[in-house]
Amino acid sequence: MNLLTALARLLIFPGILFAIPAAWFFLWVERKSVAMMQGRIGPPFMQPFYDFIKLLGKGTPPRTGIVGGLMRAWPLIAVSTAAGAVGLLPVLPSSGGFQGDLILLLALLEVPSICIIAAGFTSRSIFGEIGSAREAVLSVSYNVVFLLAIISVAASQHTFRLEALAQAPATPLRWVGILAILICLPAKLHLNPFSLPNAEQEIYSGPMVEFAGPELAMWELSHGLEWVAATGLVATLIAPQMAFWGLSALVFVALSFGIVLLLSALAAATARLAIDTTVRFYWQCTIIFAVLAVSSALFMRLRS
Amino acid sequence: MSYEIPMGPYHPGLEEPYKLDMICEGETVKDAKLHIGFNFRGIEHLAETRNYIQVIALMERVCGICSFIHTLTLCQAMEKLTGLTPPPRAQYIRVIMGELERLHSHVLWAGIAAKLMGFKTMFMTCFEIREKVMDVLQEISGNRVNYAMNRIGGVNRDIEDPQLVLAMVEALEKEMTRTIIPIFTTSKTATSRCAGVGVLTTEKARSLGVVGPVARASGIGQDLRKEAPYAAYGEMDFTVPVVPDGDVRARLLVRALEIMESCKILRQALSKMPPGEIAPPGDGSKFSFVTGTAMARVEAPRGEVMYSVSWKEGARMPSRVHVRTPTYVNMPAVRFMVQGARLADTPLIQAAVDPCYSCTDR
Repeated sequence: MNLLTALARLLIFPGILFAIPAAWFFLWVERKSVAMMQGRIGPPFMQPFYDFIKLLGKGTPPRTGIVGGLMRAWPLIAVSTAAGAVGLLPVLPSSGGFQGDLILLLALLEVPSICIIAAGFTSRSIFGEIGSAREAVLSVSYNVVFLLAIISVAASQHTFRLEALAQAPATPLRWVGILAILICLPAKLHLNPFSLPNAEQEIYSGPMVEFAGPELAMWELSHGLEWVAATGLVATLIAPQMAFWGLSALVFVALSFGIVLLLSALAAATARLAIDTTVRFYWQCTIIFAVLAVSSALFMRLRS
Repeated sequence: MSYEIPMGPYHPGLEEPYKLDMICEGETVKDAKLHIGFNFRGIEHLAETRNYIQVIALMERVCGICSFIHTLTLCQAMEKLTGLTPPPRAQYIRVIMGELERLHSHVLWAGIAAKLMGFKTMFMTCFEIREKVMDVLQEISGNRVNYAMNRIGGVNRDIEDPQLVLAMVEALEKEMTRTIIPIFTTSKTATSRCAGVGVLTTEKARSLGVVGPVARASGIGQDLRKEAPYAAYGEMDFTVPVVPDGDVRARLLVRALEIMESCKILRQALSKMPPGEIAPPGDGSKFSFVTGTAMARVEAPRGEVMYSVSWKEGARMPSRVHVRTPTYVNMPAVRFMVQGARLADTPLIQAAVDPCYSCTDR
């Protein structure tokens, strides 16, 4: 039964069966909401799905001097890890068995970013390499805040188990952690003002420059899944506990949708920051959140 | 270790085809080499095969943004060779069209600058405003790009509804003061991309001989509309915005202030426009040129445009038409602007010059 539940979580909800349509849906919400904020009509509802199918049907032009196997492998690894991360989210109550923990989720969320860095260098394009270097610098900068946030959330409940964290009541330290995660999400999802690794006006979209056809389709899908996983992580931490599983799923989707809208509004309202400004911003955040996290932890210790 | 990044001739960061090879160390640009000529169409040579009516239509195709300015400068040069003076109303219409063109060019530039900063919402806002100016231009001339307004000794069409232009001026001023100027000057993300970026000092600007908003943003207060007034500019009361900082933010500020000044000029021109003819009597198909070379200079949105036209008496076609465009003068400065800049800022630095290769290569 435990195996069945685990498989159902991984393959049905919030796993692949839910995650892939949700990825297209979130990509559409982001594009549509940004378009509406900019006074444009935006894409039709099915556009991300059509884009995916269209790209799958296209061929890849010959690329001399590039290792084709690696070029195909990176997007596939990114898709599978992002889907795995979504499958780990404790949206529904579990009846035991393997549930995963925050550290595994964190690792899975980080793999697509590593794949992007590797893909840029594998492409052997100067624009891809610059994009990868930017992604690496960005990753090092925001991940310090992100890790701090995750540790704050875990420390607030004295556990790394996702299920326990989702069920635990909110504490000040946990809210500090959630806020820190929200600050990291635009960088993680390559949104403005931290969209510099894939800046098309500067470096032709950076690491993605040599990708086309099914490989690009996989990158798009992995990006969508990252949206679901990242917003879902925040949604599970914010969502109140529900007795009925259907209601839990509904609240999860609604909260994720709200976070997508929030991030889209931020992306629409800002320009792209340069790399040094971004790094400075995240290191300043690191100091602020480190102080907040330590003081919250001390406060909780004193109260208990 | 240094490496070379090619930017162009086809690049999403460039408006038009040119190439800039940048030698970088990490994210810092150490030097740059500029290559132009990708858009050469031989228009100056073609001009020598066209008669005095056709040559106006031909030179209008030099640029899609400042097409009116090109025909205005050419017609002013040809008017010197024919001894014709346009009637006062035509002079005012030339001022109005010139300023409308400046408005749409500057707003277009603001949009492109916003796009290069990754600020697509501002890009859309700017283009929405530009559309209003384009609508007015279409209403006056019947065209959106090549207006066919100028002729030797006057203009082809009258402005029948000045209220239409005034309503647009009101809307544009409101939008500029309410949205565009505050966002460009106060948004943290936008100012972080502009302030202190691509600096061209006053001394360097003077030694390179830059013109237009690029010169005015480096503290050089030059503007032909003031220094050598043409059309009806001598009767207009306006100031020439000058900012000494020399960075991208200064260029942005100069253009924003110029938009406000253009609105001021438009109001004056529309209210003071005298009644009367818009072209000399006759069907405008026969002109007699004297032998010689005439030169005319006009302040285009990007800076000084110069036409030198040579004619032989009795000829229907010019023996030489030479054009000097502001981009040709301004682009060498880009090399000095990008030295020491971040790679991420280079598209914006180049765009801050507002390069037009349609004009430059022609």
